[in-house]
Amino acid sequence: MLEVRDVRKTYGEAADGYVALDGISVDIRPGEFFCLLGPSGCGKSTLLNIIAGFEKVSSGAVSFDGEVVNRAGRDRMMFFQDAGSALLPWLTVEENIRFALRVRRVPKERWGEIVTNHLRMVDLDAHREKLPSQLSGGMRQRLQIARALAVEPRVLLMDEPFAALDAMTRRRMHAQLLEIWQRTGQTIVFVTHDIAEAIALADRIAIMSVGPRSTFLRVIDVDVPRPREMSGAFYAETFGEIEQLLTPEIRRSEARLG
Amino acid sequence: MTDLSLRQAGAEAPRTGPSLARMPRLWRNLRGSLLAPASIAMALVVWQIASSTVFDPFLVPPPTAVAKAAWPMIVSGEILHDVTISMTRVLVGFIAGSALAIVVGVLIGRIQILHDLFDPIIELLRYLSPTAMIPIAVIWFGIGEMSKYFLIFWGTFFIVLVNTVVGVWRTPAARQRAAECLGASRLEIFLLIVIPSATPFIVTGMRVAMASSFMSIIPAEILAADSGIGYLLQKSSMLLQTDKIFVALITISTLGFLTDRVFRIAVKRMLSRFMLADAGAH
Ligand SMILES: Nc1ncnc2c1ncn2[C@@H]1O[C@H](COP(=O)(O)OP(=O)(O)OP(=O)(O)O)[C@@H](O)[C@H]1O
Ligand SMILES: [Mg+2]
Repeated sequence: MLEVRDVRKTYGEAADGYVALDGISVDIRPGEFFCLLGPSGCGKSTLLNIIAGFEKVSSGAVSFDGEVVNRAGRDRMMFFQDAGSALLPWLTVEENIRFALRVRRVPKERWGEIVTNHLRMVDLDAHREKLPSQLSGGMRQRLQIARALAVEPRVLLMDEPFAALDAMTRRRMHAQLLEIWQRTGQTIVFVTHDIAEAIALADRIAIMSVGPRSTFLRVIDVDVPRPREMSGAFYAETFGEIEQLLTPEIRRSEARLG
Repeated sequence: MTDLSLRQAGAEAPRTGPSLARMPRLWRNLRGSLLAPASIAMALVVWQIASSTVFDPFLVPPPTAVAKAAWPMIVSGEILHDVTISMTRVLVGFIAGSALAIVVGVLIGRIQILHDLFDPIIELLRYLSPTAMIPIAVIWFGIGEMSKYFLIFWGTFFIVLVNTVVGVWRTPAARQRAAECLGASRLEIFLLIVIPSATPFIVTGMRVAMASSFMSIIPAEILAADSGIGYLLQKSSMLLQTDKIFVALITISTLGFLTDRVFRIAVKRMLSRFMLADAGAH
């Protein structure tokens, strides 16, 4: 269980700083696919980085299985939008995964099998010897997924992982991610500003208000089996519900910007 | 140290110019190896004609005269002797300067308190060129080898240092954080992530420092030596031997050019993988 308790985050000095998050609480269940959805700048990345342990809270706390999170931990694996900078460009596809196993102190005898399994899982088996610069954007993201899963984290934290991909590749990545998630039973916290993406993937969607002082406007349950038809009635309904929540928020932020 | 000058750009600029793709294959293969000699040959011809028509051949000796002056110097080993001496000075100063700069640079780049402590001093000292340091170097070290080592070291150190610090800083945060999540220790992140990520910057700094070393060895040898190419230049000037001056000048430029080529080939052989600064950039 991932517990977020009344988390507040102020950037800069307390007195005149920027209050990015103002009291966020949620319990994310083991094995849940949880989406954070909100307009740009609302603090999605901030919250995710706090859960990962990269950023400190100003008040409140995040705990994982009862232990307070205050630094990056091996059970929570962050997954970055820019795969190019998250991977090691001087190592081949295969070596990138071996790097993960090496720093994770996985016994060497098991490396060969783990590498093969995970590269097969994301269809990169035929590209073992390539460098990340020789892969397409989607392939690099798949490599990042394979590397993240190879160390068997219990929580995957994903910050707009597919935002930079074209629509077709993104669809394929969604299907692959869901398939892996259903198989491994990992908890996923997934950040996006794409309503359709959130509906396609999540068990629950947290809608965030625009900053400063961003909070959860509502947490929506998406109780529909997967794969979800984009043309289904529930889809239009959920989409409408979310839009109704977000439109005044976006208008508010536009008004403030003048 | 936050401002980046052009030379710290990290990677080589993409080649611009007419596309090679449309040229016939044979011509494409020959192009590089033919054009460079052609360019030099052309310069020699223009020089030869200009020396014997426009200029006084004593002030600007034509290539034939320079070759005539060079030949006995080559045969007697005089040139080789001076080249060896100057090269040794450059290499000793360059290697020592680079090595220390890399060590200090990664520490300063990584440890904030060291940076805050040393940055102001470095920012002041790096404006003292090796040439500016010659007078004090002569007093400290005399005109022996040590003063030349010191001057080349001085010039190299700051260039490589600044580039190393920038390279460490430019290590993508995502790369370090991903490694942290995977379970890498601080030492592993430093050795396996930060240093490889900084390598293209360090190499660029070293190349610039190498070129600058070849420039600073000359004034150092002119003012504070009794051997080396710079001294040959100085001596020829005193004796009004313009042809020998040209021999010395050509030697310097050839030496700098060849060393840079060797350095580039070595980097390509050993470090090419690390020179891809960012896998995301195509
Ligand atoms: N290091 C920082 N220092 C000061 N302010 C920051 C910092 N990081 C983020 N912020 C501010 O906090 C707010 C939330 O930023 P955050 O990156 O979490 O937004 P986001 O929801 O991820 O946006 P996007 O969808 O554009 O990625 C923004 O207003 C941003 O300006
Ligand atoms: Mg973000």
